[in-house]
Amino acid sequence: MRRTWVVLAAAFILGLAGGLYYAWVVNPVEYVDSAPDSFREPYRQNYLILIASAYAQTGDLARARARLSLFHDPQIRDTLAALAQRELARGGSEREAQALAALAARINETASPASNQTPATSVGTVIASATLREATFTPTPTPTPRRTPRRTSTPTATPGAPFELSSRQTICDPKAAAPLIEVVVLDAASKPVPGVEVLIVWDNGQDHFYTGLKPELGLGYGDFTMTEGVTYTVQLKDSPNPVTGVSSEGCTADDGTSFPGSIELTFTQPER
Amino acid sequence: MISTPVRVLIALVLGLAIGLIYGWLVQPVTYVETTPDSLRADYRADYVLMVAEAYDGPQSLDTVQRRLASLGPQPAIEIVQQAQDYASKNHFSQEDVQRLSTLAKAVTTLPSAPDIGGP
Repeated sequence: MRRTWVVLAAAFILGLAGGLYYAWVVNPVEYVDSAPDSFREPYRQNYLILIASAYAQTGDLARARARLSLFHDPQIRDTLAALAQRELARGGSEREAQALAALAARINETASPASNQTPATSVGTVIASATLREATFTPTPTPTPRRTPRRTSTPTATPGAPFELSSRQTICDPKAAAPLIEVVVLDAASKPVPGVEVLIVWDNGQDHFYTGLKPELGLGYGDFTMTEGVTYTVQLKDSPNPVTGVSSEGCTADDGTSFPGSIELTFTQPER
Repeated sequence: MISTPVRVLIALVLGLAIGLIYGWLVQPVTYVETTPDSLRADYRADYVLMVAEAYDGPQSLDTVQRRLASLGPQPAIEIVQQAQDYASKNHFSQEDVQRLSTLAKAVTTLPSAPDIGGP
């Protein structure tokens, strides 16, 4: 009797092992219908860049949001900004970095009245149906006629109107870890402008950054860490007038100690 | 009374069935590191639409080619045509159809897809 049970148990285990081997190795579940959130990291980054590039051309923020929502990333703004920085650091496409920065700057904005009028279902049948399918596992999306998505207005600088330096001031913040060149770019309506490339040149080097990569400090804000004793030239790309002689200036703290201060440069687009 | 060989067979089949259920349904192999060529048809169409949206002229054809190549080894025009078919069946807006059409025209000038490996 005991021998019978041992044989049965052995047969069961053999069957189980065979089943698992078949299910996991011979014929595993194939994910031929994957979603972007399952991508390997480099492809994920490329997908984000593509979303940003598409947004840069269309200005359709609602659609960009819908696409980004596929990644279920609560910190998507930071992810985009970090990716923009990484692209710049590795010498990648400046256009793509700029597109990422612009999208990062706008992604958490409250929907504009125009985009409010565009219901989510019209953001794109693709995205809408994809989301629907994700939720319901319906094998095929129900074709839904969709309205042409309205373009949301993307506030950008008026072409042809170069930004001009409107203010330059020393910022004395004893809590700052290092002196900064803080650049603020505003359009003619005094609204911050993200995605503007700022060039920094000094005696034996140069660098650049974009406004809007630190949205918590303002969409038109960008900064660069200065080295004490070095004099910089700051210029907005496509602006003919560089700001020369920018360097850290001495500040005095309440306790009498001195520390290097930051410089804030505000560029404004002249009214036409 | 069931004979021992039949019992063994039943145990074997039961084990096999439980193994398959566990392997396919309870704990299937999960692919968390997929690539764009495994995208579902709707995501795939949207990917091509994004490429079309981002396309801003012949100077960006290299970028278009690189992006479409990650969807598989087929020629770019085939990939775009598949997206156009999907768009047509799923009532994409005229604007999106137009974008895909513009992209299709642009990629006809491209050579066959380069052999691009994973990044």
